[in-house]
Amino acid sequence: MRRVVRRLVIGGLLVAVLAWLVVRAQHQFEPPPPVVARPDTVSTGLRTVRLWFSAPNGDSLVSESRDVAESGVMRERVSALVAELALGSRHGAVSALPAGTRAVHVYLDERGLMTLDLSQAFAAEFHGGSGAEYLAVASLVRTIGDNLPEVKQLLLVCGGAPLGSLGGHLPLDRPIDVSDWP
Amino acid sequence: MSASRVRRLESAPRMAPRRAPARRERGRRWVALAALCVALAPALAAALPAPPAAQTLESAPVRNVEGTTCIGANDLARLLDATKYWHPEVRKLELRAHGHRVQLTADNPFVLVDDATLRLDDPVRSVDGEFQVPVQLIDSLPSDSSESRLLYDPRRSSVLVLPPGGVVGTPRVTSGEGVTRIVFPVERPEDAAVVARARAHFRVRFTGFFAGTVPDSALPAPLRGLVVLPSLTGCAFELRLGPEAGGFRIERDARARRVTLSFARAGGAGWEAFAPEGPPGPRRIRVVVIDPGHGGGDTGVSAGGLLEKDLTLVLARELRRELQRRLAARVMLTRDDDRALSVDERAEFANRSRADLVLSLHFDGFPGVLARGASAYCPPAVVGGSSESRADAASAAAPLLVLPWREVASRHAVESRALAEAVLSSLELRGEGPTRLREVLPMSLLGVNAPGMLLECATLTSEVDRARLAQSDGMAALASAIADGIEAWQRNE
Repeated sequence: MRRVVRRLVIGGLLVAVLAWLVVRAQHQFEPPPPVVARPDTVSTGLRTVRLWFSAPNGDSLVSESRDVAESGVMRERVSALVAELALGSRHGAVSALPAGTRAVHVYLDERGLMTLDLSQAFAAEFHGGSGAEYLAVASLVRTIGDNLPEVKQLLLVCGGAPLGSLGGHLPLDRPIDVSDWP
Repeated sequence: MSASRVRRLESAPRMAPRRAPARRERGRRWVALAALCVALAPALAAALPAPPAAQTLESAPVRNVEGTTCIGANDLARLLDATKYWHPEVRKLELRAHGHRVQLTADNPFVLVDDATLRLDDPVRSVDGEFQVPVQLIDSLPSDSSESRLLYDPRRSSVLVLPPGGVVGTPRVTSGEGVTRIVFPVERPEDAAVVARARAHFRVRFTGFFAGTVPDSALPAPLRGLVVLPSLTGCAFELRLGPEAGGFRIERDARARRVTLSFARAGGAGWEAFAPEGPPGPRRIRVVVIDPGHGGGDTGVSAGGLLEKDLTLVLARELRRELQRRLAARVMLTRDDDRALSVDERAEFANRSRADLVLSLHFDGFPGVLARGASAYCPPAVVGGSSESRADAASAAAPLLVLPWREVASRHAVESRALAEAVLSSLELRGEGPTRLREVLPMSLLGVNAPGMLLECATLTSEVDRARLAQSDGMAALASAIADGIEAWQRNE
């Protein structure tokens, strides 16, 4: 009788251990229970943007990624991009924009033509040759083209007035095809 | 190599038989061989040459995190054009893009993609404050038209955004019965276009990313070379063809998803003609117009006490002397004193003089101190309108193209580029470099109906360049180097 009880106890223990192991194994392969998400603690999303600066030797553009606050307003998005370009590189590249440049007005039409009105400093503070001019324009065109794919063409104006050229080397009086400025 | 592939290779030794000692020994060898393959696979993959097209595509590097190939969440968000929302209490990062959302949790292999839960082989890790996401996730991201399509390319150790045209595979070259064919496997054959039809630079463009390899075996005639060109909107191939090529044909098979480019030795009906080629031999130069940049109140760049407007005038006079000595040509200056000229006045002077060559001289200035050397700007080898319309025009063999008069210099784009290359090559040889060539129509060539270029002869903001110019024969040496380049262009060798 005692032997039967002992066997029953041992058998029960074995069954309990096996059951525990099975439950544990199943638990391991189950997705975690859904976490009840609390309300957002951050009201503004962050967007990683790609900025194009000039290489230190002036040969080409180099890119940097940076987080900026997400905005659904086109003017704010472009202003943030221009502001980040004007702030300069964090990795040794050269800011191609003249000091004090900022976006004043932005208008995007249904065909993808963006008119970007820059502050007077864009033209007034430019003192370089055609290389600096090329890279300043390319930096803007490429940064806007990369981060705002809906922009197909870019027309630069300055202080609300048409801008024939920045330094007298490259014509800027017509819209620039974003795809033509690799 | 994908994670599943690696697992298959690693599991191979377990399947080796264990009965006889000889078999066991053989099995051990296979195990060792398989282990060696697994170990060497990344190195071999890295050693294979990668096509250059990814340089122009949006991409992000991957990194190894505890044996798992991962991409940073910030890079992933950028490639997906996603906005990030961070929930610190539950250590979750949510990426939202174009109506889709991806939810990542630190140290958790479960990823929520829209309404589906995926289990990755390895968890998302947090390294230095940034989530590292296993690249395995990329294959499971939504692939509708609103979302960027990503591709993990192990050969470049990067994840890249595929262009709308998807992927272009390895071209296959066959030859027979006087026709040489190149078959390109593509996802969107209808987008293929021949964008340059000269035998020396025959170019075909696709809207897909080139993920194959270029055939390296001997190419059958009339093919003499095949290279991949980087392109912002996909990829392009440049072919070099021999003079025996008589015509070409492009066939787009949407059902089989391939494009066949055929070249026949004998052209004729059903075959398209190549672009006319300029006559070989020396070019005739009767009038050279040199345009010293800036002048009057427009001083141009100033650095180290030097003014660009003065230097351009001095160099123009030196160059006039040099060219008059070497060429049987009239050499004219748009200005021979310190005065300002408008763009229209400069163009009118060149056109009235019936110039065979226009050279606009400038000196560069740049905010960075490392910039130095010379740059040339010449009209791009395209005619009016956007790239797309140009490609369409080229593929449709438009008989007539209208362009505004201000862009008339584009008519001479091929000659202008040859001139720029000859002059820059000469400057490099004479130690006046480094040099760079940019295909952008400069102001000084607006309305100029002749081959020409804007040449930034040196960088005034560079101390090295200024010192070279300040030498007693600095300007004469520069003028001589430019004249060498013009002579080489004139000889057309």
